[in-house]
Amino acid sequence: MRRSIILASILFSVVIIGCSKKIDLTPSTSVAEEFVFTSDQNIKAALLGAYNAVSSSYVLGGDYLLYSELLGADGEIQWAGTYNQPREIFNKAILTNNSFVTTTWTDTYKAINICNNIVNAIDIVNEDDRDRVKGEALFLRGVMYFELVSFFSQPYSAGNATSNPGVQLITTPTIGNISEANYIARSTVQEIFNQVLSDLKEAKTLLPDENDIYATTYAASAFLSRVYLQMEDYENARDEADNVIENSGYELTGNYEKAFNNSVNSSEDIFAIQVSEKDGDNDMHLFWSIPEYSGRDGDVDVEQKHLNLYEANDARLALFYLDDLDIYRSGKWKLNYKNIPIVRLAEMYLTRAEANVRLSTEVGATPAEDLTTIRIRAGLSAKAATLDNILLERRLELAHEGQRIQDIKRLKKSVDGFDYNANELVLPIPLREVNASNGILKQNPGY
Amino acid sequence: MRKWTKLAMLMSMAFCILLQVCVAQTKLVKGKVTDAKDGTPILGATIKSDKTDFTTVTNPDGTFEFKAPSAATKLIISFVGFKTLELPITSDFSNIQLEEGASKALSEVVVVGFGTKIKKDLTGNIAKVKGADVQNMPVPNFTQALQGRAAGVFVESNNGKVGEGVKIRIRGSGSISASNEPLYVIDGVPINSSSNLAFSGNPSADINFNDIESFDILKDASAAAIYGSRAANGVVLITTKKGKQGKTNFQVNTQYGINKPTHLRGFLDAKQYVDLLREAATNSDNIDGVDPSDPDSWLTFAEGRLDRYSGWSDWRTSETNTNWEKLAFNDNARTSAIDISASGGTEKTKYYISLSYNNQDGILIGNKFKRLSGRINLEQIVASNFKIGMNLSISQTNAGRVPVDNEFSTPMQIVALSPVTPFRDKDGNVYNSPTTTYSNPYVDFTDGHWSSTIYRNLGNIYGQLNFTPSLFFRSEFGVDIQNQNDDQFYGFRTTYGTGTNGYGESDWNKVLNYNTNNYFNFSKNFSDVHDVEVVAGMAFQRYQNDWANVIGEQFPVEALQKLASAGLIKTGTSNQTYSSFLSYFARANYKFNNKYLLTLSGRVDGSSVFGKGNKYGVFPAASVGWIISEENFLRNSPTLSFLKLRGSWGLTGNADGFGNFAHLGLWEGVSYGGVAGLSPSQLANKNLRWEKSNQIDIGLDFGFFNNRLSGELDYYNRKTQDLIYDVPVPGNSGFTTQTVNIGAMQNKGFEIVLNSDNISGRNFKWSTNLNLSFNNNKIIKLDGSRDTLAGNDGRYLNSLIVGQSIGVFYGPKYAGVDKENGDALYYISDGKTTTNDYSEAGNFIVGNPNPKVTVGFGNTIKFKGFDLMFLFQGVFGNSIMNGAGGFMSSSFAWFDNQTADQLRRWQKPGDITDVPQLRLGYDNGTSASSRYIYKGDYIRLKNITLGYNLPSSVIKALKISSARFYVTGVNLLTFTKYDGWDPEVNTDYRAGNRNQGSDFYAAPQIKNISIGLNVGF
Repeated sequence: MRRSIILASILFSVVIIGCSKKIDLTPSTSVAEEFVFTSDQNIKAALLGAYNAVSSSYVLGGDYLLYSELLGADGEIQWAGTYNQPREIFNKAILTNNSFVTTTWTDTYKAINICNNIVNAIDIVNEDDRDRVKGEALFLRGVMYFELVSFFSQPYSAGNATSNPGVQLITTPTIGNISEANYIARSTVQEIFNQVLSDLKEAKTLLPDENDIYATTYAASAFLSRVYLQMEDYENARDEADNVIENSGYELTGNYEKAFNNSVNSSEDIFAIQVSEKDGDNDMHLFWSIPEYSGRDGDVDVEQKHLNLYEANDARLALFYLDDLDIYRSGKWKLNYKNIPIVRLAEMYLTRAEANVRLSTEVGATPAEDLTTIRIRAGLSAKAATLDNILLERRLELAHEGQRIQDIKRLKKSVDGFDYNANELVLPIPLREVNASNGILKQNPGY
Repeated sequence: MRKWTKLAMLMSMAFCILLQVCVAQTKLVKGKVTDAKDGTPILGATIKSDKTDFTTVTNPDGTFEFKAPSAATKLIISFVGFKTLELPITSDFSNIQLEEGASKALSEVVVVGFGTKIKKDLTGNIAKVKGADVQNMPVPNFTQALQGRAAGVFVESNNGKVGEGVKIRIRGSGSISASNEPLYVIDGVPINSSSNLAFSGNPSADINFNDIESFDILKDASAAAIYGSRAANGVVLITTKKGKQGKTNFQVNTQYGINKPTHLRGFLDAKQYVDLLREAATNSDNIDGVDPSDPDSWLTFAEGRLDRYSGWSDWRTSETNTNWEKLAFNDNARTSAIDISASGGTEKTKYYISLSYNNQDGILIGNKFKRLSGRINLEQIVASNFKIGMNLSISQTNAGRVPVDNEFSTPMQIVALSPVTPFRDKDGNVYNSPTTTYSNPYVDFTDGHWSSTIYRNLGNIYGQLNFTPSLFFRSEFGVDIQNQNDDQFYGFRTTYGTGTNGYGESDWNKVLNYNTNNYFNFSKNFSDVHDVEVVAGMAFQRYQNDWANVIGEQFPVEALQKLASAGLIKTGTSNQTYSSFLSYFARANYKFNNKYLLTLSGRVDGSSVFGKGNKYGVFPAASVGWIISEENFLRNSPTLSFLKLRGSWGLTGNADGFGNFAHLGLWEGVSYGGVAGLSPSQLANKNLRWEKSNQIDIGLDFGFFNNRLSGELDYYNRKTQDLIYDVPVPGNSGFTTQTVNIGAMQNKGFEIVLNSDNISGRNFKWSTNLNLSFNNNKIIKLDGSRDTLAGNDGRYLNSLIVGQSIGVFYGPKYAGVDKENGDALYYISDGKTTTNDYSEAGNFIVGNPNPKVTVGFGNTIKFKGFDLMFLFQGVFGNSIMNGAGGFMSSSFAWFDNQTADQLRRWQKPGDITDVPQLRLGYDNGTSASSRYIYKGDYIRLKNITLGYNLPSSVIKALKISSARFYVTGVNLLTFTKYDGWDPEVNTDYRAGNRNQGSDFYAAPQIKNISIGLNVGF
């Protein structure tokens, strides 16, 4: 009997001692943030994380492109889907709690935060790769701020850039906790553009000429040309475009169709979001394609008004296809699991042509030569290189690729009855952000 | 940490010293037990001696044989409803007469954590539901069977899908981001009751509740505090049936029934659809200033769509009028069940074994539930002071699942399709998109399947060693293993399979949960007036969940549905999470003179889910009781037979439901372009600690007229502090939320329980019970800087507001329709002026999804061989928001078929109505507002059973011991003003602590009527 008592007591004690360590557990599917900033390899993995964040369906995985086209619809496309969030954008009656817009904001800053982390820990990266890694992080950060300021603020062309509110400028990483730095007011449009320019310019000097599917010095140049164009700085826009055309080695695809629905970057993709069966989302395909090609429900219809802009034998017109219901669909987003071109070489030709015309220069080539290059590829003959012709060519060449509203705004056109600088064409600051900011973050006018 | 180890060592040493040795020799005692009133033999009375744990029970003729140890001095004879008798071992036992004692209810044994108590001596609040009361109820989840049966226990099924989510709230919601579900403990094993979000089903549906002897629901903190950090939301202790000494008793139950939806909602028919749609298109043309006959007009567009939707038929002549809503339901849904059990035992061995098969078709197409389960409960007395035992169940659940409510492929979304669309084309195929408005869920049903198979083992083994008659040590080791496989395939024409040549998915989920409890129990009576019981011990639990998913596309033919045939494996993943708890607990009960009761308890819990320095929490509780009716001045009261005042306070904790590593700053693996990377996934909070719930309870238990009328009144105030909450942080940080301890919430309430034996004759018996609960949930504090976390997401309005209940609807208040132009109007912030601009609308509290009152009202009537039982269950004071209003009651904003109320739309200036002008392509009043909020009060006949017991003469002739025929029904009647399908609703895809009271194509509840036969032999 006494033995059993002793046994019970021993058992009891053993169980207690045995268990006490077992409540120190760490997860097996994630790593502690402290661990991330300990090696070259980890920082490079974080860089992939930054690309992944940028490729979110709410960011360059489609939605920024979709918003641009929906805002710039002007009767040329129609949102015919059941989702109310894109419909609000299409109708220019966006609610501040629009969940698409909200996630676009938070996912964009998620990408920025990863870039900030990389820049902050850049000294851990091997010296050989340090410039490239930093360059890529700065490139992605610059692109993200450019997208933010393009959609959530009044355009640069509206003037008052030094007083119009841009977005919140964060260049330090969030580590360990939220800090006071996260409770800040919006910087001005000018300050955000300055940040974009400084990130992209530094990236341009740091990045290599070739970098697989990742950012190159020419991707930075191409984005710089876009940014300068928005700022109506045609000289710089022209020179950056020229740099890409002359030095990068990218070439227009043999025919127009080949520039789209690609699983590997085409010869003219300066920067593209990688999408495959296993990895990445393509919201442009999701909403623009039809169930037959795994699209949602043909949510974006292309209207006759748009098709009327093309000449009859335009290869770009031929790319549109009719579905079973006799509705035209954009062939650019037809197939599932295909890359999303973000900047194509064709845009550089058109930017250079436009800037050359505006400045009456012939840097790299004459405007007529550039225009012809684009038109011939589309199966068309040469045409007078007037500003209007170049702008129309740009509109057709880049149709439904997410550039429409930016072009409308910089050209000070109106769309669907709204002036280029109408409040309705600016996305609202997400309600959750206004609420989470302790009153510091101010909503856009009109919301 | 070392401190605790030392303490435990010391504790066990102390016990060792206390111990005395006892040696066993036995002698045989024989006797007979009868009712003192009329001398009838008592079957099932328990006989035990004062020195051992051996018990025996009396035979049908009242006789017994008992081997008492030679050291025994007393024989203790007890039976529910009678006074316990203690007789010297030397007495004459040939006719032991038991006198009726305290009411059955008061002498009932109640299971408390790590022990039992009789109800009379309780100082905490524990609601007991007997297994027998819910036996054979044709519902798959035991949680559903509890609905309406206990005060303060609110049960709500998300929807009418069979074997899926059920919400239980004991005394309201205490938490925002942590779990609000109670802890379930089956035979000492805390079970896994939360489903892995990636998986279908509800773990509680794996349990055959016909094996359950009792549910003891620990509601107040003093009752629950012995479960410390797990107990903030109450604890449901489930005890399974055990064998009793005597000959083997077989029970066979068979059941067969039919299932129907409680209610159909009704949508526009084909003619109404066409008329209203054309009206909507014309209105939009007028707004745009476009001639409706213009090819670019809305009307042309709409008529084009009608051409498309009507397939082979002509919409202009209403050639087709399909009622899609009816097609969402299986009109041949059946329930069948068979249960067999055998129980019995000798004085040393007791067993209960059972086998059960339950087959319940859901009311939705494709929704099925089958469960095959078996159980063995065994106890063996090895020596006079040592017993061992096991409780083991194994079950297989096979279910046909349907997607969550917000999927286009879920059956209920079929109501969006147009009534002009024929069900089938000329070739007999079910029409699908693009002829149907959206892809047709019926095709997902015919050309797809989602079958789920779950194997569940629940069991424990234990040993109990009695050192002395007053001291024992018990050690338990339990496991809960769940293995689930979900197998999905959707064919080439389905929502998921179109364009990808089929969609296949295989999901595996494994939960391993083991625990051990080791404790000492000391109980002794000193000098006849001091009753002392002390329990002290430790427990350890580890939980681990592993799961994997593989998704494939591109199948060669539809007949090949396994991923082996998939041309493309799209994703494959495996995942894992785990947690562990280490706990030390102690409780002391003291009773003085059978009048004054005191309970003190404490638990120290260590948990892996918190970081260094925050792992351990201390959870004390104290309670007192005063049995006033034992005092001399009340002792002989002719009317008042029992009166007890009790009060308790306790602190309990919550560490569940917010992730197992929420305190860490984490990065996870991602990939881009086929290359792996790291991405931040969680913001750190090193200070994360227990959520603590402080509860006081004051209760009065009473009995009148020899306890024929008895009841309980309870007031409680439960305050949760250090609320665990995923607080929104500025998105510019790269994160959206951080898990923090912030804020406080309060639940105050009042509970009334009344039990009455209205008539208690020999041939006619009628008893009534009522439970009524009032709860007021209030958020006391959020993060300190904000008083309102508005939740308007365009469809729903569940918000968090200081001073209001969790998840109140906060948003624009609908002001009806502008009678001049048909615009939807809202009130601006002054509450008086109206606007047609949603973004200018003010925000108001426009509804509360939390019920204020819940009620259960049951009656049992027995007349000769007949018995009739019925239970009404009601919920009052809550609102429901239809998140799908913007689609189905949207003034034809798009092509979805509309609810019938849209017929009363505004048509011309001067019309006064609440339905705005129809406008295709415009959102006229479709955003989330009070327009889509409805009163959710309901009362329903939850369960009614009429039974007939064959008379004993027939039974004897058939050589069986009992036979009963019965008819039983669930949800047969519902009284409500709610316009939707069913007022018991919380759409599954978003159900949560804050997201309550939302409807979104949620299936109505199941109405069942069954017949059954119960035979014992």
